[in-house]
Amino acid sequence: MLQVEGLYLRRGSNEVLHDIHLQLPPGQVVGVLGPNGAGKSSLLSVLCGELAPGRGRVTLQGRPLADWAGQERARRLAVLPQVSSLSFSFRVEEVVGMGRMPHGTGQRRDAEIVEAALQAADAWHLVERSYLALSGGERQRVHLARVLAQLWPGEEGATLLLDEPTSMLDPLHQHTTLEAVRRFADCGAAVLVILHDLNLAARYCDRILLLEQGRCHAFATPDAVLTPAALKAVYGIDVLVQAHPERGHPLIITR
Amino acid sequence: MMRRPAAFLALCASLVLSTQALAAELPQRWVSAGGALSEWITALGGEARLVGVDTTSQHPASLKSLPSVGYQRQLSAEGILSLRPGVLVGTEEMGPPPVLAQIRKAGVRVELFSSKAELPAVDENLRHLGKLLGAEQQASTLAADYRQRLDALHVNVKLAQAGQQAPGVLLLVGHAGAKPLIAGQGTAGDWLLGQAGGRNLAAHQGYKNFSNEALAALDPDVIVFSDRALADEQALQALLKENPALAASRAVREKRLVSLDPTLLVGGLGPRLPATLQSLAATFYPLAQASFAQ
Amino acid sequence: MKQRVQPRTLFISLSLLCLLAIWLSLALGPVSLPMFDTLCAGLRLLGLPVSEDGLQQAEMILGQIRLPRTLLGLAVGAVLALSGVAMQGLFRNPLADPGLVGVAAGAAVGAAVAIVGGAWLGGMPDAFAPYLLSFCAFVGGLGVTALVYRLGRRDGQTNVATMLLAGVAMTALGGAAVGLFSYLADDATLRTLTFWNLGSLNGASYERLWPLLLVATGVAVWLPRRAKALNALLLGESEARHLGVDVERLKRELVFCTALGVGAAVAAAGLIGFIGLVVPHLVRLLAGPDHRVVLPASLLAGGVLMLFADLAARLLLAPAELPIGIVTAFIGAPFFLFLLMRGRG
Repeated sequence: MLQVEGLYLRRGSNEVLHDIHLQLPPGQVVGVLGPNGAGKSSLLSVLCGELAPGRGRVTLQGRPLADWAGQERARRLAVLPQVSSLSFSFRVEEVVGMGRMPHGTGQRRDAEIVEAALQAADAWHLVERSYLALSGGERQRVHLARVLAQLWPGEEGATLLLDEPTSMLDPLHQHTTLEAVRRFADCGAAVLVILHDLNLAARYCDRILLLEQGRCHAFATPDAVLTPAALKAVYGIDVLVQAHPERGHPLIITR
Repeated sequence: MMRRPAAFLALCASLVLSTQALAAELPQRWVSAGGALSEWITALGGEARLVGVDTTSQHPASLKSLPSVGYQRQLSAEGILSLRPGVLVGTEEMGPPPVLAQIRKAGVRVELFSSKAELPAVDENLRHLGKLLGAEQQASTLAADYRQRLDALHVNVKLAQAGQQAPGVLLLVGHAGAKPLIAGQGTAGDWLLGQAGGRNLAAHQGYKNFSNEALAALDPDVIVFSDRALADEQALQALLKENPALAASRAVREKRLVSLDPTLLVGGLGPRLPATLQSLAATFYPLAQASFAQ
Repeated sequence: MKQRVQPRTLFISLSLLCLLAIWLSLALGPVSLPMFDTLCAGLRLLGLPVSEDGLQQAEMILGQIRLPRTLLGLAVGAVLALSGVAMQGLFRNPLADPGLVGVAAGAAVGAAVAIVGGAWLGGMPDAFAPYLLSFCAFVGGLGVTALVYRLGRRDGQTNVATMLLAGVAMTALGGAAVGLFSYLADDATLRTLTFWNLGSLNGASYERLWPLLLVATGVAVWLPRRAKALNALLLGESEARHLGVDVERLKRELVFCTALGVGAAVAAAGLIGFIGLVVPHLVRLLAGPDHRVVLPASLLAGGVLMLFADLAARLLLAPAELPIGIVTAFIGAPFFLFLLMRGRG
């Protein structure tokens, strides 16, 4: 389990994160919301070890994150960045196959996992194609398959961090991606996902961390966090919140 | 000795035989890596023995039809060996050293000559070449002749200097007129100018570029120009066009400009020099021109 | 999706091509040796007892001139190609070249110091001079690369973009330094410097060969072992880190490997360009960017290309010789333009 206690982070002269406490329990999807500059990406960077906090601890299964050896950590923690800058013409299955690097499971098993991951990310039809020939959204799904393959099958002890995985996807694939993430969590993995779309967060997350200027405004279930008052305070927008007619989760409608 | 004709005959016979034997040891196929050396070989009657020359060997023109072994500093071992030479002659500029070692290892003689711009070097080179060609007599004649011509030149220059001051001279070496290098102290060009009685105004060492201002400041009486791309008149035009600072100099105003074959500046002193020096001296001392006629 | 050449096909073809190149390199040259003589001399060199007579010339040409030259060509080609792959991985750009970290510039400065400085000191004894030149070129290459690497490091991280700019700056500085040396040199040294800058396999000998062979073997053994990590690095530094790769160490190793390899190659044969750029590109065009294929294939292809270029250098103007850097430039530059025009492969 990935855990954060008393986290403070400075970048340059700004205090970007202020006293953040966070737990990512297995089997849950935690969404991180907040306006631009709220510190979402910085939080993700600290959680995956890219940035060192000024104060506070990040622990993975009780051990400080920095103490984990590279490969060992990679078997338990996977990160999907917002953009990818791969400029070599690998094949789709080769890109996904790189996710199996930390494991020593052999070619055949790896190939099976790659196929399963591609199916889960709804990218199986892209197999054999060159990565550079894909659209932005297709590339995003290939990378999702890669991180899924890295932690396959997503049992307890695996943590997945996703930075805006739906930013370039069409509505259908926004949902298929988050459903795949949801299924992954159902197998036992812990998931943290940064999202922009409030309704997607409301539908797929078990808990939501609402950040405002580096501070935790709220950390609770979608019902409790996504209230008109909170959204007005953090985003400055006027909203109506209703229950989704079929599913019951909050539906945010901007007035 | 005359009282013993048999012994005398034997002596003569052995001398003749040993000369023959020596001649048999003389290399018959020559590769020359040095312009001046190739000229001396030709002057000594050895042109027929040349099977390959380097890129600096351009005189006489008939040498250009021989296979080229490339630039003298970048010889190819196998290339030279493919000409099956008996000897490779060149100056100390010849190279690269590992290639020379390979050629020696293949059993080919490598003879080194001096490229220094001084008279004793010419003497020694001629002596050495004469020995290798079996033309010692001719070689010493040539050497003596060379020395005599240069001595005569010196005498005439001294005489001329009685009536005229030694002119301030600059030697410009250029390529199509652009960015000419000035021959400074210690260069072959400097030696040439000195021999012909000129006063080299350049005080630096080696060949260097000068700025336009520096050129104008020197104000030479005579300009000697040597161009690697153009000949005589064209070279002069190009030189003046590219270097307007020269237009103000006394040399250009009084039209005291003379061209010099650039091949004379590399690879040591060659046989064409005395004649060139005469004509240089004639330009330096116009009042005594007659004494410098061939 | 364009068809890729299967790895097995590629390796077999390259190996056969390599054997062909070696054979041509040993059999052809300005001296025309009868094939029979070449074969006998070759067998005798391998240690087999051959009772033919009159093989001295063949043995000498083969053993002293062509064989060291062939080995030098293979080693230089392999090392330059592998370094090209390493740099393209480090900078995550298929247009990167070993020269980007300043190795070539540093080696050129080192060589200029040796050539011009040696002339100032009144000339080195002939036996010494080539070693001094190689040593200075090697040290120069390593020195400048170390400086570039140092400039790119901050807070224990190596910033590749900064390194690139530092490399460009050092290359410019190196060029200026060489220019200064050229100015201070006399005509003779200037010519030597110019020819060194054009690269040549001329004068290859076993004594000067073994340092490079040592380094080349080291690089050829070490680099392919990092193939998977290099693949991951292409995704991006963070992504590679999250896959468990020690990225800082990998970058350090890549820079060191390139500095050592290119430094040794340049010390042995002067500046030879385009191999590091063209060979990995060609291999990727044929067989895809997976380093597990690209690395060994580039090793072979680099050697092959070098040998063919050297054949052209030796034979086109026989009995004179073209500097090999000119031949590789004539092959490499048009190929590069062709690549740019059709879009990156």
